Amino acid sequence: MTDLNDLPNRAPAADQSRAPIELIRDLESTSGYWAAVWTMCTLPDVHLICDAPIGCFNLVATAVPDYTDAIPHIHNITPSVMREQEVTLLGTAGAVRRAVEALRSLHPDKTLIVVSTAESEMISSDHSDWLSKLDPPVPFFWSQSLEGDEWEGRDRALLWLWNRFGRERAAPLSANDAQMVNIIGPTYGCFNSPADLHEIKRLIEGAGGKVNLVYPFEATLEDTPRLSRGAVNVVMYREFGEALAKELGRPYLFAPMGIRETTEFIQQLGDLLGTRAQADAFIAREKQTTLAPLWDLWRGPQGDWFATTEFAVVAGRSYTEGLVRLLADELGMKLHFASGRPRRPGEMDNIQIRETLHKKQPAFLFGSLNEKIYLTEAQAKATHFIPAAFPGAVVRRALGTPFMGYSGVVYIVQEMVNRYYDLVFNFLPFDNVAAAGQPKEAANPLTAASRLVWSEAARAQLDRHLEGIPWISRISASRELRAQVEVYAIKHNLREVTPDTVEQALAATAAQR
Amino acid sequence: MASLTVPEGNLITPEIIETRSKSSVSDLQSQTGHSVSPDHNLTPQTMCPAFGSLRVLTRIDGVQTAMVTDTGCLYGLTFVTHFYAARKSIAAPAFGTKELVAGNVAEAAIAACIEASKMPGTKLVAAISLCVAETAGLTEEMLPRQINGVDVILVRVPAYAIHSHPEAKDVAINALLKRYAPAQTETTEDGVERPLTYDGSNEEEEALRRKVIMLGEVFPADPISVDAVLKRLGGGLAATLPSRNLDDYKLARRVGAIAAVHPFYGGSVATLRAAGVPIISGAPVGPEATYNWIKAVAAALKLDGELAEQVAAEERDKCKAIISQFPLRGRVMVCGYEGNELLYARLLVEAGAEVPYISTSIQKSLYTAADEAWLKARGTREIVYQKTLEQDVRALDRYQPDLVLGTTPLSAEAKQRGIPGMYYTNMLSVRPLFLSAGLAGTIQLIRDALERAPRYAWMREFFEGPRPTAPAGPAPINTMD
Repeated sequence: MTDLNDLPNRAPAADQSRAPIELIRDLESTSGYWAAVWTMCTLPDVHLICDAPIGCFNLVATAVPDYTDAIPHIHNITPSVMREQEVTLLGTAGAVRRAVEALRSLHPDKTLIVVSTAESEMISSDHSDWLSKLDPPVPFFWSQSLEGDEWEGRDRALLWLWNRFGRERAAPLSANDAQMVNIIGPTYGCFNSPADLHEIKRLIEGAGGKVNLVYPFEATLEDTPRLSRGAVNVVMYREFGEALAKELGRPYLFAPMGIRETTEFIQQLGDLLGTRAQADAFIAREKQTTLAPLWDLWRGPQGDWFATTEFAVVAGRSYTEGLVRLLADELGMKLHFASGRPRRPGEMDNIQIRETLHKKQPAFLFGSLNEKIYLTEAQAKATHFIPAAFPGAVVRRALGTPFMGYSGVVYIVQEMVNRYYDLVFNFLPFDNVAAAGQPKEAANPLTAASRLVWSEAARAQLDRHLEGIPWISRISASRELRAQVEVYAIKHNLREVTPDTVEQALAATAAQR
Repeated sequence: MASLTVPEGNLITPEIIETRSKSSVSDLQSQTGHSVSPDHNLTPQTMCPAFGSLRVLTRIDGVQTAMVTDTGCLYGLTFVTHFYAARKSIAAPAFGTKELVAGNVAEAAIAACIEASKMPGTKLVAAISLCVAETAGLTEEMLPRQINGVDVILVRVPAYAIHSHPEAKDVAINALLKRYAPAQTETTEDGVERPLTYDGSNEEEEALRRKVIMLGEVFPADPISVDAVLKRLGGGLAATLPSRNLDDYKLARRVGAIAAVHPFYGGSVATLRAAGVPIISGAPVGPEATYNWIKAVAAALKLDGELAEQVAAEERDKCKAIISQFPLRGRVMVCGYEGNELLYARLLVEAGAEVPYISTSIQKSLYTAADEAWLKARGTREIVYQKTLEQDVRALDRYQPDLVLGTTPLSAEAKQRGIPGMYYTNMLSVRPLFLSAGLAGTIQLIRDALERAPRYAWMREFFEGPRPTAPAGPAPINTMD
């Protein structure tokens, strides 16, 4: 048995000969394999074979997209189902070959693509050679699942699809295509993409453009060469898609978030398409219609509250930067912290986010399931969690919930103000109807609290506890914490509340939860 | 133990297990071979097997998990685990090509275990070794048994070697039992070594010997009703495994018997058998099995036989009364991947439903034999173990059911055809099932689903248009292929 005292010395950090082990908590980005599946399976004329044990298939094709994309399952993917004998002895070529043969007869009209997984890469199952010799050849995609994350993975998959199925058959841009715009992204597993896509299409059309191809989400593999007919490309996400846009060699814009960026997007698109006058007219009309609620809320009592409210964001790069732009730069809300995905140097990882949220919570947290867990751990009842990223089970299929564009500005502000109303509604302690008939002392033990004496130090101690709570909730929280301490003091027949009493009381209350 | 008289098929003694497992080895192997038949069985149906382990372990108070695996796996498994209420932050080492080339899989696992052990109140860290780590060669000997006073166990669940998530629950529970209820041996006066069992030499032990532990993940109301029935006999339920309480695992060797109510706990049962604990198979589902089960438990716990007969008969009659009041009519396919499908099928058959086809993710074993024989004697045509989606869909063609209790892809296929369908995992596993109380709720759920058929037909027609030619009524069952 290992000597326990020896353990810190065995910890990797102390071992100079090897790179330190990087620790992860609650992963926020999945792998290149998932990216390949979620990108390629959106094309209905593709059927994917993943060289995978059953688990890698089930999670990416059924268990997770059930709850991220709200679909029963991804139908155009089949696993090779590697088992122990394939891993240890046979290799997976036989299993892949059986799947190819079966699927050829089941789906003769589809293009088969074989993708690697972490486990197949682990045992170096590269099938490109023999698959290329089949008649017709079957393309093999090495998904780099052991190296890359889902963002680079989508970039690589999109580029590969263009290079393999588009480039050679692409027609040059004709005069008829001058107003044609491609949208690059989304794929499966892109948070809230139906509503955002709907809004981006609306903005493109408003600016005078015509949507040529939404790739890959509304395209077929057969459509791939048509990407060349876009005069302008709109890249939905900062996280991926730019590589393909660069390769296509036409001007490209990122889908916008916030008031200023959306306005600039429409103007620039108008310039690029030669429809600037139409674009300007659209902006003017939007101010009177789609965006008017923001102007009204800004002038109303709701607008005053923005500057006093703190928020934090952990989401994809586009949403993180977009929400900071809208809420902090434009509306003047206070930013507690923001961390985008893929993470840049200096941005907090989940271990740091967890520690930060355990210490202090903002009034609003835009994030993923991970942040929701950290709030639960911190018992942060005063924080409003707003889903803004995967992972996490959430249906975002309605077209009316965008974060991007002018509609997104209004939707986000509407959601926040409504939650603020909830906060105000729950502002005062609830007068318990069920306890109404009981004797006063029993129903409310605090009637005896007037006899308690608070020391100055105890008050300061209570204030320190309140600092971790979002500002807007502090008033009601201070009442609640004070009550907890006083109930504890009365129960223990104390006459004076000391800093120790505060600590003991709050610890006892926390333990009861 | 050999002197106990119990209903045939319920009590599995060590001797029976020995002989049965020897004779069934080749039978089992033929079930697990990998081949794609001419009719294309391409898509096995199970959650990622490792999920079974993770689900059991994350739900135990004081247990933290460290997952040693690649990013895609970690992302997917934590997602589904939290979906089902784990809400526990999960530590892992970054584990890609860089780390694999460096070859420091053990160091990576230990680093994650240290991080996991820091959570206040942690009693046990379970290092969960998945496909990539297993292939890299992570073994039990590489991990310390404790870190800073916190126990560490290795749970090995590579999906390529464990074929279903129910069976991975067994792996997790077995790992816990081996640590917390290991077999101990004693040498008798005449020099024979035998399992050291608790003999009830004090009052607490005496009471425990009259109690049973249920082995099988069940809805929380089921243990309450089981305990109430056993209390009438002077016995009781000591715990249900998997449990939220780590101490319950420590009790497993000290109770009078283990009731393995689900058929996929072969590893855990073997561990407990080696510790000398009597094992009862089967579950109190439907009138007949309820009657048999109560009597078997009473016999194993050495409770009053006459009283057991009376209580078992009462409970059976209550079940029958509910059924006669709310009989089921219709053809139901039971096609989940939870491993307890045979139990549900028994209940539905006894309640009057026709269940021609049952499929599950687990392998055929001696623990499925009794239920399989019972069902096949009552009209079930096919029972498919380690099933694929393609087999289930072909059965849908063949049997034209009125209701499908299936996996998500199969239920979706049924609804696509205008047939009522439910996701077995989310709808049936969250309801009581045992004794008369469980029976009533389950029958009601199924009756309601059958009655909703016109809505499924309407929705299908709304989205897909009228059928080209509608066949009148359910088709007769074809012969099996």
